[in-house]
Parts: sequence; structure tokens; C-alpha cells
Amino acid sequence: MFRVRDDEPGYAFIPEVQAPEKNRYGKPIELVDADDALAGKSLNINGDVGIGANPNRYKQHGFYFNADHCISCHACESACSEKNNLSPHLAFRSVGYVEGGTYPDYHRLNISMACNHCDDPVCLKGCPTRAYTKFAEYGAVLQDPDICFGCGYCTWVCPYNAPQLDPVAGQVEKCNMCVDRLEVGLKPACASACLAGALDFGIIETAPNNRDQLEHTIPGFPDPNISQPNIRFQQTKSLPREMTRADTVPLRYERDEQGQGAFKTRVRESGRSREWNLKKLRSREDPLVVFTLISQGVIGAFLALFLGPLFGLQVLAPASHPVAYPTLLFALLGLETFALALSTMHLGKPHRFYRAFNNLRYSPVSREVAGIAIFYNLLGAYTVLTAFPGLFGWLPAELLTGLQAFFGWGAVVAGPLALYFMYAIYRIPARPFWNHWQVLSAFFGNMLTLGSLTVGVSYALVLASQGESYASLMWALAWPVTFGLLLEAVGLYFHARDMARQGGEGEASHFEQRTTFGKTYAARNLGLLAGLPAVIGLAGLGVDGWTGFTAWAIVATLIVATAAVGRALFYALVIPTTMPGAFFWRNRGFQEHARETGLAHMPQVGVVPDGH
Amino acid sequence: MLFGRKKKNPIKIADKGVVDWKYTTCGYCSTGCSIEVGLDAGGQAVASRGVGGADVNRGKLCLKGIFEHELFTSSNRGSVPLMREKRYDPFREVSWDQALDKVGSEIQRIQGSYGRDAFAVVSTGQIMTEEFYTLGKLARGVIGTNNYDGNTTLCMSSAVSGYKRSFGSDGPPGCYDDFEHTECLLAIGSNLPEQHPVIFWRLREVLEKRKFPIIVVDPRVTMFAQMADMHLPITPGTDLVLLNSLAHVILDEGLEDHGYIEANTNGYEDFAKLVAQYDPTTASKICGIDEDTIRNVARTYARAGAAMTIWTMGINQSTHGSDGVVGINNLNLITGNIGKPGGSSLSITGQSNAMGTREWSSCSGLPGYRALESEADREDIASFWGIDPEFFPKKRGLFQTDIFPAIETGQIKGLWIIATNPMTSMTNTARIRKTLENLEFLVVQDAYQDVETNEYSHVYLPAGLWAEKEGCFTNTERRVNLTRNVVPPYGDSKPDLWIFSEMAKRFEQGRKMRFPETAEGVFEELRQLSKGRMLDYSGMSYDKIEQQRGIQWPCTEGAQTGTPRLYVDGKFQHADGKAKLIPLPFVDNNERPDEEYPFWLNSGRVVEHFHTRTRTGKIGNLNKFSPTPYMEMNPDAARALGVVHGSYARLTSRRGDAVVMVQLTQRVPPNMVFIPFHFHECVNRLTLGLLDPHSRQPAFKHCAVKIEPVADQQAASVRNKAARTY
Repeated sequence: MFRVRDDEPGYAFIPEVQAPEKNRYGKPIELVDADDALAGKSLNINGDVGIGANPNRYKQHGFYFNADHCISCHACESACSEKNNLSPHLAFRSVGYVEGGTYPDYHRLNISMACNHCDDPVCLKGCPTRAYTKFAEYGAVLQDPDICFGCGYCTWVCPYNAPQLDPVAGQVEKCNMCVDRLEVGLKPACASACLAGALDFGIIETAPNNRDQLEHTIPGFPDPNISQPNIRFQQTKSLPREMTRADTVPLRYERDEQGQGAFKTRVRESGRSREWNLKKLRSREDPLVVFTLISQGVIGAFLALFLGPLFGLQVLAPASHPVAYPTLLFALLGLETFALALSTMHLGKPHRFYRAFNNLRYSPVSREVAGIAIFYNLLGAYTVLTAFPGLFGWLPAELLTGLQAFFGWGAVVAGPLALYFMYAIYRIPARPFWNHWQVLSAFFGNMLTLGSLTVGVSYALVLASQGESYASLMWALAWPVTFGLLLEAVGLYFHARDMARQGGEGEASHFEQRTTFGKTYAARNLGLLAGLPAVIGLAGLGVDGWTGFTAWAIVATLIVATAAVGRALFYALVIPTTMPGAFFWRNRGFQEHARETGLAHMPQVGVVPDGH
Repeated sequence: MLFGRKKKNPIKIADKGVVDWKYTTCGYCSTGCSIEVGLDAGGQAVASRGVGGADVNRGKLCLKGIFEHELFTSSNRGSVPLMREKRYDPFREVSWDQALDKVGSEIQRIQGSYGRDAFAVVSTGQIMTEEFYTLGKLARGVIGTNNYDGNTTLCMSSAVSGYKRSFGSDGPPGCYDDFEHTECLLAIGSNLPEQHPVIFWRLREVLEKRKFPIIVVDPRVTMFAQMADMHLPITPGTDLVLLNSLAHVILDEGLEDHGYIEANTNGYEDFAKLVAQYDPTTASKICGIDEDTIRNVARTYARAGAAMTIWTMGINQSTHGSDGVVGINNLNLITGNIGKPGGSSLSITGQSNAMGTREWSSCSGLPGYRALESEADREDIASFWGIDPEFFPKKRGLFQTDIFPAIETGQIKGLWIIATNPMTSMTNTARIRKTLENLEFLVVQDAYQDVETNEYSHVYLPAGLWAEKEGCFTNTERRVNLTRNVVPPYGDSKPDLWIFSEMAKRFEQGRKMRFPETAEGVFEELRQLSKGRMLDYSGMSYDKIEQQRGIQWPCTEGAQTGTPRLYVDGKFQHADGKAKLIPLPFVDNNERPDEEYPFWLNSGRVVEHFHTRTRTGKIGNLNKFSPTPYMEMNPDAARALGVVHGSYARLTSRRGDAVVMVQLTQRVPPNMVFIPFHFHECVNRLTLGLLDPHSRQPAFKHCAVKIEPVADQQAASVRNKAARTY
């Protein structure tokens, strides 16, 4: 057990208070009864089999933050980092701020935030490895780095930036509520360290002594409905109508014209000009740009190959080109292998890749990986059966055909289903720029476009070299290509419209899209729009031969490049609903600057140099 | 609503394996927090925690204290003495004997050629009291230079001077417990939440129980100002006008404490005549605080049953810093707010042992608040040390800020710098560089060999830091607290005490004198020398100090414990036992913004850094909160100049230029910028630092600059990074 000192000051102990039975979301605060199977168990902290004597062990606990008092002295963050032995680049708790007013009527509102040990822990549900557990003890949501494989998906879904992906250790770690201290009745290290009467801790829905409010939000705090966080606030002092952030995220918070009502998140339209910023397109998610595009292309290509003959494209039947057909299948298989390898290497701990399937019940990541894996295996089986029927001569012919059909049709179903789960990954309320149906239209659009183009261009090459015409094939394949392009374009149109309308982080991302990446964005849109007439034109003209092939190759390159830039933008632009940062700490702009200038190479700057 | 694994894995929480906790006192600021340093089984210091039963901090620490154990292994500590012929030669490693012999012979050579005072010693507020005393013994009793001072001239000199002028002696009369009793707190130029967060917490704890007015005077909207009931955004450099005007209103409206003034003060008539000129209407035009507010504050303060004033560098670092302190004392004397619970003039001190150096280092006189000017004091100390009293000068020599100009003009040829970093801390860096180049011999004694001043040294002596040694600090409320030795000094570095004692052996006179080997042995001398004096230590011992988590002097022999307040009986240290009310005419000699240099340049501290960052710049968990210098600038002013948030801008003053990152905020007025003072090659490239006539403290916070956006941001970032080697 954690050792309580003889001279431990009174403020460090969790006070004994009367708590209501249910929290504001109607959930019981007493998480399990004393006779429940989950009760009376040791937390097994560092091998200690003891059971804490805290009388409220099974009640949901949470932080209490009095924004009226916080002075941004960093004591809470530091006490946390000291206790958890964290390197400077990591922090389970961070203090950021918003500010407003005009000198000397200036107001700064500091916000200290860690994990809120939510009632509906989106991290837990999202984690493919089941590294998270919501404990009956204190309602603590704890994450086990020994299970984690470092995909970072929890860091995407958490609205509060609580889970910390450590790029050095290749794993996520987060606030553990100091359950070791709770077991002996002490508040967590951060709350005990507070020097301003701001951060406190106790049974949820109870206010500390001398505090009046039990609000569930303050300016800058994400929508509590996303995860039902266990944190309560006080903020009674008058604030200016508009509050801004010190970090580079182009957001501000604004009340209605009378300065009343809740603060709404709005875009801070600074006079930024339209830039290319191609370098900034690169990110940690680069492997995902490649992985998603290739997977979509491969699935689309297989659909075109497999379904083509059914639509009368006999040229695509295996028998029509007994060499080209399996070669293309193997190429697709190779491409997908490469993509899977990339996405695995993108993990912090690639050797734990097999844990991706651990959470099929809740995690879209698990489902996506399962879907892709099933498709990949079916594609592999189909390819082998199709390429080397001789190997299976011992099988009855009907069974062989049946198996081919089974694997083929299986892949036809599994592929798009995998892409659906791939899309579900990005429907994250904490990432409004992604949380839109456009992701689905883009993924399926890309599947159609890239897949059909891959098949078309490959066969055009084969047919051209044999001196045969491929114009009719291209004419047929131009339909899905065009449809895919249209699907993506329409999705993007509505996405841009909805982001601009919805305000908040989504609009801020879109603002960045129009400014920081303004020229890149325009080029992508132009590329997309130019692709349509080009494809229709070439197909309509029925170009053929090497000249035609060259034209098709140019158009295909344009379309692929456009898709790649679009996907890179998709990852680079997202602005999570996280809490405001400070001017240096938790400021993405400063982190980028530190990496560019080499300041990040000094470990005491607290920014990890880029590895990609 | 519970999710996750049914069969739960064991929970792992970082366990540093602490097997032993050792008692220390924080070595950063002067709050004086008690810290326990945790040692693991291998004897490594791995954790820090506030001592629960310590009255000062009651278990709390600020972030610097929380990571203090990391100092022992921080980068670029000095491990062996270094030497070179010329400052541009490479250093070579030498033995301690070689280094000390060299320093000893150079001191004697310089003193032999140019006179005793041609060698100067500049020390610090960072080392232990026992070390200060020993250094004083060495400098005054052995080396015999009168040009011996500490860097406290840059921070507390004005408070010392002001206390002496008003009360006849240095020594803050109040304590933190005054928060419990006061009915009005006036904070002038003090940003407690940032500079002294644990003292702020003590105040907050009281405010949780009892509400009383907090009035903050600061040109910047600090967190303290924002939290105050009244914030007075004063025009820089005009505090004295405000103080005189507050006194004006109090006297004019008959709110003064007649009885107290009559019984305990001198000089009332002249004082009243002077403040009569500072009516609020006139004063408001100068200090920028409207007349109604001045009257309101004066009435609130005077009518409070007990009222106290705290201040820090906003008062001290000014051309009238000493006058500002006297002005505060005047205010508290006329309202009878000295020596009573909740009534005080409490200077909030900067360095961990600024008080220790004031008491015992002999910088400004002789140990134990003795004066060189007093024959009896000279004889006292001379006989105690066993030397000829005539060896002492009869008048105090130069202050730190006058020592450097004397190097510039050649009167001083050799300098010993101990645990301070004038290359970063002094105003007008360009001038300091030129000055240091002039030295025939410079020895730098510091825990870090990358301390910037080392660039100009001929000998570098690596010293142990903080709990690598043992000894006492005195905090802001006169509390003497102990640091036990936790780990041995880094590498072959040595405790400062050892260095001083060994240095004494290089001199004939030093070999004849007694230099106790242990800090506790030195402490015994302090007890003897303080017996019966205002700062009586005679009732203290190391064990008793540790047991009581610090003892406030005076603590007379046989007393159970110390004394929370001075002057409770109304008896002051001036010869007649009375305090002085001193008239303070205001002369505005600051470099004010003008057409060419239109901005006030203000400087100050941030909570994550300490002084010139030699320590905090290496602790990642501190440094990350401000890893490079920045400037707070008003967005309206910036817009007019095309200066952008997050970009680099160039500031120019009549001294030089600096490049900083811009943080736009309405926290500062449109005609002022604020830059933290911690960074090398930054704010002090710009500062003027006119000296206070009494305390010789520089006016760090008052000068004028112009600002321009930097077109080549790339080059600016390279320049910025080059200056941030830690």
C-alpha cells in the first residue's frame, strides 16, 4: 500500500461527503454492490495483493476544477510527472488557457486537464487491443501499456487529449487516477499539489468545501455528451464575450451578442494567406495515407476484375488472358501486402500486431483490421486457386470452381465491408473534420476510381503490347471511374459546406484547408475536376494504341496524385476537440517550429524530433 | 457501465524505490519550503516532496521544488577545476591544488601591484549561510578587499536599504502568518502566483476562510492582478508618487494612527510637509491611477484593523527602489502597521539565501548586521577572528553594480565570481562583456561549467550545489532552515565552504585563523556572534532547526522557538529606538518611451524558471514551459507594426538589440512589452539599469525600446536557437 506520512496534511485526504445515488447522466455513482463479483478484489498494484481500506472504493470519483482560482503554476502537471516519472515530452495532465478582454480589463482562464475517467470511455471502446479497463474501483479508466501496441487510436477518439502516445517508447500511457493513493484515502498527486485552490478530487457530483458550482463544462471544454466525463467545474467570474487561444489552433470562443449564454467554438479568422505548405502534408500518419489508398485501390481492382465478366467484359475473364489475369492478381496481393506491412510498421510496437483483433465487440479498428485480413486471405486463396489450377488437379473440378467462386465472392463482400469499417474508424465525435459521411464517399469513391483505373491501365498495357484494342474495355471501366470521382467530389462539396456551417473545430480545419493549405487544396480540387472530363473524354474518343495508353497513363497519374494529396490533407488538417494549449506547451505550432529549427533536439525543450 | 477485461492485469504505477528521505530546504527562491529528498537503494536522489509538517509550505511545493532532485545529475555540471592563460585559450583540467594556488597567487599579485581593493569578490544569494560567513571571513579578514559584494544588489538591495533607513536595521518585520490576521493586503510590484507560488497558496488558504481586500499594483495584468479585488495598473516607475499620495490622503483625512506616530517615529513634520504636495489629483496625472481610486485605497488601507504591504522587484528594481521601500514603511508607520499581527512591510525576497548573505556575508559590513562604520563592531569581529581591527576598512566599499564600472575603468583588475552569472543577469550585456574582457584575472566558482560568465574566466572552480552540501538558509520571514547533505558533490566538485577554507590557507593571515571544517562548526560561530543581537541565533541548533522545520530569528539561548515578528514593542534599531518617517521627493529620471523608442520594456520572472536558467534550463519538465525567450506584446500595438503572434521580432534600445518570439496578449498595455529576464542574450542586451542612489540596485524594469518585425524569420530562429544551448 502507498505509505501515508505521519505528517500528511489534511488537504491531501479525500473528504468524507454525502454523494447522490445517481450522476447527472442517470447512472449510479456506486458502481458495484459490496457483494458483487467485482468487489473486494485487490488492484494488484505493483504486485501488492492488499485491498485498500477507502470506504468509497466502489464509487465513481472524479476531478473538480475551479477555473476561478487556477493560476497556471504547473504544480499539478509537475506533481503528476514527478510521481509517474515522465519524460519532458510526455504529460498526463496539462494546463492550457484561453484569454480575452482589453488591457487592463484582461481575463485569462487557465484550464488544467487530464483523464476524466469517463462513464462512456471512448478510448476503451476504440482500443483494438483492449488495453483499457474501467474499474469498479473508483470508476478509474486505466490503460495497460503492456497490452497496448501503440496504434494511437485512443488518442484520436479521446476529446481531452488524455491518452499520450509516446513516440519514443512506442506506446500509449495515461493518467492512472493515482489509484495507489486512493486506496489509502489520499487525493491524486495533482490535486494534492494544487497551489491555488483550483484542482480538487472526490466522489463525482460532490463539490469541495467552499465551492458552489457543479458545472459539467467551461469555455474551451469539448461536448460532454461525447463521453460523459467525470469532471466538474466552477467558473463564476465574469468573462469577456470572446476568448481566444494562445496556441496556433485557429479557434475562439464566443458568447451571444449580449455576452450571455454558453461559449460557442468559432473560427479565429486571422489574415492568413493561401499557401502550399507541401512539407506540412507529411505527418506521422503518412503510412495511413498509403495504406488506405492502396487498400481501396486493391479492393476496387479486385471488384472490377471479378465482376467485370459478369457485366459482359469478357476480356477480364481469367481464361481470356491466362497470364495477365493472375499476374495482376499477384500484383494486387503484393500491393496489399506492402500496405499492410506499412500500417503494421506504423504501430509503436509492430510485433504486437496480432492484438489488433482483441476488441471486435467495440473497436472499429479491430473490425477494419479483421475485414482487411479476411479480404486479404480470400484474395490470396482466390489468386492461388486461379493462378495454379494445376496444383489442385486432385480436387474434383466442380469443387475447385466452387471454391474459386466462394473465395472470389467472399472477397467481393469482405472488401467493401472492410472499407466500411475503415470509414467507421474516422467517425470520431472528437475529430469533427473527419466525423462526416464524406469519408465514406471518399473511400468508396477511391475504391471505384483507383480500382477500375488500375485494372484498365494494366489491361491497356497488355492489350496494346499485343496490338489489340482496349477502347471498349476503357469505355466500360470509365463508368466506375467517373462515378467514383463524382462520388468523391460530391462528398467533398457537402463536407466543405457542412464544416463551414457547423463551426468549431470542423470549421477551423476547413479554414486551415483554405489558408495554410489553400493552394494545395485548390490544386487537389482542380485535379479532381480535371479528372472527370479527362476520363470521359479519353473513353469517349476511344483512344487506343500506345498514344492512347500514354494519355491514359497521364490521366491515371493525375488522379492518383490527386487522391494522395487529398488523403494527406485529410490527415494533416484534422483539429481535435482537445483543450486549449499554452503558448509553448501543447502548442502544435510551436512543436512544429521546434522540429523545423532543431530546438527539438534538446530534450529539455520537451518536443520529440520527428522520426518520419 | 463497467467495461474491459474481466480478468484484470496487475496495475503498474511508477515506483521510484525510495528507501530514505532526507531533510532539506529548497535552494531556489526565498519562500523557504522544506523538502524531503528521496534516495533509492542505490543512494540516488530520485524524488522530492514537500514536508507535511513544515509551517512554511505544509506539504506543498512549486514545480521547481518538485523536480529539485534532478539538479544533482543535470547536464554540464562542473566536475574538475579548469584553467587557462588567456580567456581565448582552451581550458585544461587541473588539480584543486593547482587551481587554488593559482587563484591565491593571482590575488596576491594583483593586490601587490595595484592595491588591496584592486581584487574584487562578487558572490550570490544561493549558497549556505555558513558559506557566506566563511567567504566574508576570507574576503574581509584574509584577502582584505573592500570591493566585495553579492548579486543581492540586483534583487534585494533596495529592501535592505529601505529597512535600514526606516527602522535602523535590515530584517523583514513580518511573516506569512500575517495573512491570517490582516484585513487588507497591498501588493506592489509583486506577482506572487508566478514568483512565490507557495506563499500565494498560504494567502489563498486564508482567503478560503476569510475575505479581505487584495489590492495589486502592477502595470501588467498578472494572475495576481486578475485575482485582486482592485488592480491598479500603474505607470512604470511612479510607485513612489502613489505611495506619497496614499499617505497624503491618510493624513489629509485624519486616518493616521496618531498614537503610534507619536510614540514610535521621528520626522513626522517634514514627512507631512512633503506628502502635502502629492494630492491625488496631481498624483493621478503622474502615476496613472485615478484620484478616486487613490483615495479609496488609502481609506481602505488606513481603516483596516491591520493592513500589510508586500512587494518584490516591482519596487526594488527601480531608480527609487530604496525610496519605494521607505515609502511603504512610511505608509505602515503612519497607520501603525508594523510589528503587529497582520500589519507589516514584508519584502518578498528572491533568492533562497538572500537573507543569509544580508545577515552574515560581510558584503555590506561585518557579520551579524554589524557595520564597518562602527568601531565597536570592527573590534568585536577582529577579536573574534583573531586579526587586527585596523585591517578592516572603516567604510563599506563598492556595490556589485559599482564594481563592474570600476573594472571598466581599470581600478579593479581581478575578480572572483561565486554562484552568479552577470553575463546574463546584469543590465547592458554588451557593456558587461567589455568589462569582463578588461580583467587580468577572473575566477568563476559555480556548480555549472556552462554558466555564461565562464566564457571570460581564467580559472573555473566547480562547486557542489544545494544538498550536495550542508547548511542553513534564511527565508523571507527570517526563518533559518536547514539543508542536510543528501548526496556527495558531483564528480570532483567541492562544497563552497571547503573552497573558501582551502583558499584561506593560501594566505599567511588565513593560515593563522580558524576556519571550522564542518558547516555545523561554522554555525557555532554564528550562534556566538549573534548572541544578544537582533538576529539572535543562539537558541538554535541543527537538530532543533530540523525538528521545528525552521526557526525564525531572533531565537535567544534557552528559548523554545523563534519569533514571528520584529518591532512588536515599537522599539526600532535607530540609536533613539524610533523609526524614521522620511520625506521622499519624486524625481523622474527613467528612460521613458519617446518617439524613437516608443515602448516601455518591462521584465520579470516566470514560474518555471529561476534566475539565469543555469539550473532550470536543464530540467526538461520545467524548461518545456518556456524553452525560448518570448515577449508579451499588446495585439493592437503589434497590428500597427505588422508584428505577428508566434513570429520573431527584433527589439532595439539605446544599448543593443534582441530577437524574441512574440506572444500577443492584452495582459500588457499598448505602450509596453514584457520579457522574462531568465534568458541569456536577451532582455539584458536592451536594459539600461540606472542605479538607485541608496541601494545601487539597477532599474531593470524601466527603459525604452522600439520593435520591428523580422523579415528573415529563418535567420531569427537560427540566432534564437544558437543562444539556447540549455
